[in-house]
Order: sequence, then structure tokens, then C-alpha cells
Amino acid sequence: MALTDFRADALRCTRCSYCKWIPFDLVKSHRFAKGCPSIEAHGFHAYSAGGRLVTMLSLMDNRSEITDTVVDIAFKCQLCGNCDVACKLCRYDMEPLAALHELRAHLVEQGRAPESYGPIIERVRSGTGGKGYTPTERNAWAEGLGVKDLNTEKADVLFFPGCTYSLDENLRDTVRASVRVLLAAGVSVGVLPETGCCTGLAYHMGYRDDFTTGARRMLETWAWAGVATVVTPCADCYQTFKRLYPTVGGGIEVLHTLELVDRLIQNGRLKLTMPVPLTVTYHDPCHLGRQGEPYVPWEGVEKKIFGQAVVYDPPRPRYNGAQGIYEAPRNVLRAIPELRLVEMERNREAAWCCGAGGACREAYPEYSAWAASERIQEATATGADTLVTACSRCELNFTEAIAADSAALAVHDVLDLVLRATGEGGTSP
Amino acid sequence: MTGPVTHVLPRKAYRALEDIVGAEHVSEDPAVLDTYAFQWLAEVVRPRQSPYMPRPAAVVMPASTEEVQAVVKLANTWGLKVKPHSTGWYHWSAPVKDEDPTLQLDLRRMGRLIEIDESNMYAVVEPYAIAAQVQAEALKLGLNLNIPGVGCSSSIVASACAYHGAGPSTYFMGGNAENVLGMEWVTPEGDILRTGSLGSGDGWFCSEGPGPSVRGICRGTLGSRGGLGVYTKCAIKLAPSFGPTTWEVGGTLPAYRLPVAETQRVYTLAVPTWNAWAEIYYKIYDNEIGYIFHRQFNLAGADLAPAFWLMYNDHTKTLSDVPALVDQPQIKELTEEMRISFQIILAGRSQADIELQDKILDAILAEVGGWKVERFCETDMAEFTNMYLQRLGHKHINFVWVGGYIGSWMQFGTPDWVEGYVPIAIAGLERDAKGGLLVQCGGDAMMGSGSGVPGGGATGLEQFVSYDPADLESTKAGIRHMEDAVKDATSHGFPPGKEFIYLQIGWTDEEIWEALRNSRQPVVYDFQRQIKEAFDPNNVGDRMYPTLPAARLAGEHGNGT
Repeated sequence: MALTDFRADALRCTRCSYCKWIPFDLVKSHRFAKGCPSIEAHGFHAYSAGGRLVTMLSLMDNRSEITDTVVDIAFKCQLCGNCDVACKLCRYDMEPLAALHELRAHLVEQGRAPESYGPIIERVRSGTGGKGYTPTERNAWAEGLGVKDLNTEKADVLFFPGCTYSLDENLRDTVRASVRVLLAAGVSVGVLPETGCCTGLAYHMGYRDDFTTGARRMLETWAWAGVATVVTPCADCYQTFKRLYPTVGGGIEVLHTLELVDRLIQNGRLKLTMPVPLTVTYHDPCHLGRQGEPYVPWEGVEKKIFGQAVVYDPPRPRYNGAQGIYEAPRNVLRAIPELRLVEMERNREAAWCCGAGGACREAYPEYSAWAASERIQEATATGADTLVTACSRCELNFTEAIAADSAALAVHDVLDLVLRATGEGGTSP
Repeated sequence: MTGPVTHVLPRKAYRALEDIVGAEHVSEDPAVLDTYAFQWLAEVVRPRQSPYMPRPAAVVMPASTEEVQAVVKLANTWGLKVKPHSTGWYHWSAPVKDEDPTLQLDLRRMGRLIEIDESNMYAVVEPYAIAAQVQAEALKLGLNLNIPGVGCSSSIVASACAYHGAGPSTYFMGGNAENVLGMEWVTPEGDILRTGSLGSGDGWFCSEGPGPSVRGICRGTLGSRGGLGVYTKCAIKLAPSFGPTTWEVGGTLPAYRLPVAETQRVYTLAVPTWNAWAEIYYKIYDNEIGYIFHRQFNLAGADLAPAFWLMYNDHTKTLSDVPALVDQPQIKELTEEMRISFQIILAGRSQADIELQDKILDAILAEVGGWKVERFCETDMAEFTNMYLQRLGHKHINFVWVGGYIGSWMQFGTPDWVEGYVPIAIAGLERDAKGGLLVQCGGDAMMGSGSGVPGGGATGLEQFVSYDPADLESTKAGIRHMEDAVKDATSHGFPPGKEFIYLQIGWTDEEIWEALRNSRQPVVYDFQRQIKEAFDPNNVGDRMYPTLPAARLAGEHGNGT
């Protein structure tokens, strides 16, 4: 792909600004109607999806050059996909989120990535993930759990914890909870201790070659180990495996842990019996929700019908967020005795991003924290005492924002509460 | 592509702008500026079909009336033009002349909903408060507001103070030109003028007295479209909502649905002839039934509309599925059944009221030989219609076929007068789309409000013409259609329509003056020149506030005053 592949998208953008808002039918208040953190924080139209399309067009037309401002425009964006959902309310011929990725990749190719990206991508390239830890450190989370080593044993599923869950000491309990829940339900869980980062972060930063290299390496390892199903509690890894890996190769079933837990509850293999008397509100991670739709292979061309109407031959898959993973986490929460689930105004495909996405947590921490703070205010407005999510980076961003804002809200992964409801997690999540 | 005309502000002026709004809220980066130059319809008026309007010299984002005032005063000092926009849509919201160094005011930092006065039924808003936000808050109080036909993504201040604000609910609630109350106006010279009751310190409740009664100067019928100062706040009338105070929106993206309350009815109605269409409009007006009244779904074209909307309501389908749907026998039948159709939502104050309205509507249908389109009145489509027309959150579907759309016709008048231009508009689109450079969706892609004035009486139909802005030949075909539509109208005794207004944006001053001199009432534009001389002596506003030059009119209309 290249910038020029999005020339028609740019010319067909009508500057309607839908990309700045949540789907209008879902607007419930003045306060929580906005959908794009980037334009909200930075103001100029260029910081919206429509504005970025024009920025690309302006570069293609040689009307402007790559300046520090253009770099800022391209990378101060969570790639959360709200723009994609909102644009596609009315359009079948636009791919704004793909265009935003393309702009980043173009700037990386031109050597104009943000300076802060340098050390991060180096760690990805070294195979130690965005966090730069050693394999030994990466696998400390699994000690004593009794998971199988797929190098020597067979298991139902490969459990992939993800860098953040496995390395952040404050989140290790969650990843351990995930495994304990699965084991309690009789799922045979295996791990591959030597595998590193999923390299999804490289893709989102615009380093496509690094992503491809990492994905191939991972898929080869999985093939060697005979992996058929991967389960991960990390929404970022989930989206990487489900949507991005198939562009490289695959044939692997990918499940978020909550999808599997939902199934286990539905078929009676997992019983949630202990009350968890909390009022919780669930934050839909972008990579599990609107970007969690399955990949559909497509290779085709644009053609016109009825004179000028644009369609694709063969029909192009439509990723608009309608088929994201929204209900499985909610089903699980509803199955927990005495737990009360209340919704934030912006939920499911309209969820406001936690702020961490698009490598913003790494490159632009203040902006990332601001976006998280916005979400904390929305969660607080529900009257919930606990904000739950299903993504490690969301949880980290929220935890820090709550501390900074002195908000009276606890943050947990859904799996923490599930473990508690099984009776194995103690009384306090 | 030829490079843009670039205006570089004197450093002192730029630093002064930074001092006013903060350095982070002003930009002259070429890429940032181009995102403001790029506008819908630019390609139909600009040389070589460029998608860019003239590039502003800088974009400035003020956060308060005082900051707007300071920027406008600075423009007066430095000989700059000021072009404000709120949500910023239409080619005329950008600078319109290459030679004018223009400050683009992006008002998105001024988006507050300042208050809703429940007992007096009005809301006070800033320019970037959009209709969806205001409606969501009004509903909680049992109130509603007129959302302009352009949709709920639009600014209330823009439609009320500076452009046209009719829509599906105007029939019941009034258009925003009528609904505007007090306004806060930063004049082109940089004075702050508070209009109507606001100007006398009596609050927002009245647009014309006690206090300065300048609504006619500020906005007239079509508004000054950013050419005569900056509107920084206004109050807008609200109406009773007659529905739930919270909406339990269902359905699946993109076709959300709003359940129909017991005291509501949602219908797609059809009639056998255009004469019956005019007749049923009159009868609806005369019987004073209806809450939302609009011809909406036909925007997709009478030949394709049923197939398109049924596709849209199935999230697994895309435009690629439309041809197969069109060929299905039951869809073909439906297409004919609803060829001349429109939508109406009835809302009752009580069960008895809604039942009475229902009976009246049935009687009207019987009198004109009309019918309810059953498929579109079934629960799924009724709820979709309810959502669509109550919120107007899908109006961008105007562009669904290929990303370019031109509204032609839309002349406003009594239904039987509108009926007179319908066959001309249909024949015109069929002719112009024949070569395949425009979307061929049937000659009738006409949409419009049931009434553009409160209580009924006058309507208009806009022909939706779709072209591909990424295809030069298709774009040129769109332009030819606009020019043809002007000729079609004038040769049949109708005034030119919406396309004429669009096309003028690309004309020279002389061409515009010629058109104004040949208009039915050129004296209006002489009067407006005097207003401009009084309020904008330094010519800070652009020509979106149209005037005739004094010398021109003096020779033809006496002394020109």
C-alpha cells in the first residue's frame, strides 16, 4: 500500500466531520458526544480522520511538505477507530482508519517517526517486546500455575499473556487469574515460554516490516508447536492475532479469554457462585470492540455500478465495528452474582478510547493521560464504584489517571472479578 | 497540480494572534491550512476542478467572544479578511478569493450549551454546539428542537444566525431563522452587539426588541454565511417533544432504530401522481396533523431507494448487494408502490390525540387515493425511520453512492408550484445521467421538508445528483448538470435553484454583480451594500454577504440608495 492508494478516499471525503463524533443516534448528552480524542485534544481539523486524509492529499499534491507539525498530526492519534465507525455510518467507499495507518507508515519510511519511537522499536526488533524484558522475566508470571510447556507437552489452547500483563507487576495477578479460571473450568492450558512480543505495537507505530518479521516468527513457532487455538487476555494482542496476523499467514483460531470464559459459563463448565457486590461499568477496549472484527481475506478492485456508484469486485469486507466483541464481556459480568453492570454513555462501538492506543502511551504520555481522564469522568458519572476492562494497556492508563485525578473509582480486569466469583480469588479483587 | 496562492502574515500580526488565542491555537503550517482549504463542492467551482478552496493565511481558534472580538479588530487593523465557521461544511465556509489574505476562524473551542430555560423553552448555545447535543439535553426535559435538513452534526448558531435552518421538523417546530431569539454578534468592525431582548438586559427570550432589532440585517432569509461578522452565541426556541425523555436506541450499526412510542406513528406514505402529492401536502397542512414531515428516502433515487434502504438495514450487506435486490420481483413491486412517497411522524399529546390524527390521516389518504407503504411501516423500518428523522444522524448518506453530491432545484413555494418543476427536474437528471457520468438512480432523487415554514404552506424539493469527485469527467458532468439545471429552470419560468447558489462561489466579482443586477429585486443588494458600508467599512467580511457596488447600481436604479 502507499499514500496514493488512498487518493480516492481523500477526494471523496466531504469534510462532514462525522469522524469527530460518536454515531449521532447514540448521543445522550452534550458532555459525552465527542468521539475522537485527537481532535478534542489538539483542535485543528488536521487532527481528525478527515483532516489527515487531506493532509495526505496535500503531501501527494506537493502543496505541503513533511514538517514537524505533519509528524505531530500523524502520530498524535490513538488509532482507536471511532472515525472508522462514524464515517461508515453513511459510506461504503471509505477506509479512514486504514488511511491513518498508511500515513504513519509513509512517514516512518521517510525517516520521520517521532524521536520517542526509536528505543521502542529497537526493543521490538531485539525480540524483547516493547518493554525490553528478558524471556525469564517475561515468564515469571506463570510460576506455580501448572501450565504446560508446549515445547514438550500438548494442551487445548496456547495461552498468550501479552507483554504488559506478564511484565507489569501490578497486572500479573490478572494474567494469573485468567489461567486459574481456565484451569478451574477444565481447560488444558499451554504456553510457549520463548515467544516474545506479538509486534502489534510495531504495526501501529508504522513499522510494517518489523511487524511482518515478528508475525512470521511467531506463526512459525506456533506451527512448530502445533498450536490450533490461541487465547489471550490482552485486547491488543487479540486484535494483532485476529486481524493483522492473517495478512501474513495463519489459520489459527484466536479467542480473547473473555470469549472463552463466556462459552465456559454458557455450557456450564464454569460456575460463578460467589457474590461480587460491586457496581461496575465496562470499558470496551478499541481492539476488542470496534476493531475486534474477524479478518476476511480480500483482493479485488473498485468498479462502478449505476454509472458512478462505487463497489468492489469481489465485494470488499466491511469493517465498521458492528461485529466487534461487545457482548461476551457483558455476559460474563452479568453472570457474576450480585454484580450490577451500568453502562457509560459511550459504549460498544461508540466507546471513548482509554488513550493508550496508537503508541500514544509511549510517545505522548500527557495526551494519553488526558484521554484516560476523560473516560474516568464518564465512568464516574455512571455512579459505578468500579471500572472494568479487558485490556492491559487500558487498565494501566486508567489506573494512572485515577491516581492523578484522585477519582474514587477502582479499576479491574473483568477476569479479576470472575476469579473472585469462582471462589478462588479471595474477597477483595 | 498548481501550487496554492499563499499569503504570509506579517510576523507582528501573527504574534498578535498568538497573544490573543495562545500559540497552540493558531497555525500557518501549509498542511494544516490545506485541511481548511479542502471543502465539499470546491471541485465544482475551482479552476481545474481543484478540491481546494483558497488557502487561508492562518487558522485561528478563539475560545471566547472576547477573543473573537480581538481577532476581528486585528483583522481590521491589518487589512485581513475574517472567515468564521463552526462545524465547517460547504465550500463557502472557506475563503472564497485567492487574492484575499484571510483568517479562518475555527470556532470549535466555543461549543458550550450555556443553558436550557425549560419554562421559557429555549436553549442558549455557542457555535460549536451541534444539534445532536442540544437535542439530547432538551429531550431530558420533554423538549425538542428543529434540526436543519443538513443534519444533527450541524451548528445551531450557524443555521439560526448565518444560514438556512429548515428541516423535517420545521413544519411543527419552525425553522431556525424563525426560532432564533437573542444573538451575540461580533460585527465586522469588532463591536459586540447583543440583539433583541438580550441587548436591553432582559435575557434571551426575544429576537426583536426590547433592544436592537437587527435580525433582518444579520440574517435575512439565507443568512450572511460568514460574510458579515461572527455570531458567538444565540438562543434557540425549543418545542415539546411528545415522546420519551430518554431514547432506548436499538438496532445494529449503521441502521439504528428508535422504538415508536404509543403516542407516535411513523409512516411512509405514497400517492399515485404528483398532483396527488401536492394535494396531500395541502390536506396535511390544513388538518394540522404531523410532527415530522419529510420526503427523505427518495434521496437514493426512486429506482433504487427501496433496495438501498433495505440493504442499509442489513448490516451484512453493502452497496454491492443493491443490484441483486433491485432485480427481486418483490422489490420491483415495492419500487413502483413507493415511487412518489414521503415520510410522516405523528405525535400525539395523548392517546386520544394520536388516534384522532390517525383517523384524519386515513381520511386524507382515502381522499387523495394514497396509501401506507406497508413494508416501510413494519416495525423494523418504522423504528429506523423514527430514528433517522428524529435525530437526523445519517444525513451524510447524501454522499453514499460515490462521495460527491450536488443539490439542484430546491426552489421553495407552494406544493402545486413545486409540482410544476418536478417533471422538469426529473427529465433533467435522466438526461444528464444518461451517459453514465452521474449516478443513474432514476430521475426522481428529490428530497425535501414537508414544509419549510411552521404550520405548513410552502415546501421545496432538492434533486440529489451524485458524481465522483475522484473522477474528473464525472465531476465535469456534475458541473454541466448544475448549469443545465439553471437553464431548465429559467427556460420554464422558474428561478434558478440551489445549484445556482453553489456555482456562484466560483465566479468573479463582475459575474456575481451581473447576476445580482439581473435578479428579481436588485435593490436588495444595494440595500445590503449600505448595511455592509455601515457595519464593515474595512471590508473584513467576504462576498458571502452579497452586495452590488454603488457605481453599478447608481447608473441603473437611480442614485443607488
